[in-house]
Amino acid sequence: MIESLDADLILDAVASVLLVIGGLMSLAAGVGLVRLPDLHSRMHAATKPQVLGLLSLLLAAAITWRSWEWVAIVLLAWGLQLLTAPVSAHVVGRSGYRTKHMRRDLLTHDELASAVERISRDIPPSRG
Amino acid sequence: MLDIAVQITQVLLAVGAIGSVYRIYKGPSVLDRVISLDVMLIIVASMMIVEMVVNDHQDFIMFVVITAVIGFLGAVAIARYVVVRSPEEVAGETSEQDPYPGPPVAPAIPRAGSESEPEAPQDPVSTPRMPGLEVEEGEDESTSWFSALARSGFTPRRNEDQTKGPAPAPSAGPEADAEGAPGPSRQQEGRDD
Repeated sequence: MIESLDADLILDAVASVLLVIGGLMSLAAGVGLVRLPDLHSRMHAATKPQVLGLLSLLLAAAITWRSWEWVAIVLLAWGLQLLTAPVSAHVVGRSGYRTKHMRRDLLTHDELASAVERISRDIPPSRG
Repeated sequence: MLDIAVQITQVLLAVGAIGSVYRIYKGPSVLDRVISLDVMLIIVASMMIVEMVVNDHQDFIMFVVITAVIGFLGAVAIARYVVVRSPEEVAGETSEQDPYPGPPVAPAIPRAGSESEPEAPQDPVSTPRMPGLEVEEGEDESTSWFSALARSGFTPRRNEDQTKGPAPAPSAGPEADAEGAPGPSRQQEGRDD
């Protein structure tokens, strides 16, 4: 694509930076999984840096391949990851709340508790 | 320069994988292990990307794409069936809910008529449970989680919204009667969103 030596050097530098950023994101996910005290905070740490880390790694790979065709496939893979990662986070968080896999002393405010109480109190008279 | 970046990235990915493995080994619930397995899968995909960068080929890109597509199915499938909490948390929670009137077992008696509906398991006894977790007695929450959470004293610790008062005890009886009779339609839309 670009044949000059300086462009190669710049592209390699950009790819190197993106690779290290991707590795740092995975490291952040691992450290968050180890260090955080709660299921929901661990869920945040596990599902959020992975998307950006995978994006930077895939862009680094596409830069080192020097082709625009692989950029499209890379962005397809990242878009699918961006679509499916919140699904697993949402499902795990919802299931963790319902089965009480959480530490309530770490919460500052439970916004869902008032909704749970209101619905569980309001629905049965309307149906009976 | 790219070689140094690749080595640094491999070390960082390895440390992240070690953290994920530690959480899979240590994790108190199955949900922790599930999200750690998701992280593990993405780290494996990342290592394949790094390997493709090193050797300058594109053989594993389909693995990355397919991982992005189907990687969440395990978490969804397992989180669907998590119903049992660890027993020490149950002991702490049940001792706190003692000042609330209305024993939690009392509304379960008129609910016994709804056991014939397999689509809406309202009785905690009729919920499907994972076979390995049946030894943990004392807590079996159903998936009709609104009523279950309201009954177990889970709700009233709020910082705001104090005007409504605590959960009324005399409504426990008609609440249970009304939930048992008319059918599972409203609880279905509460469960399957």
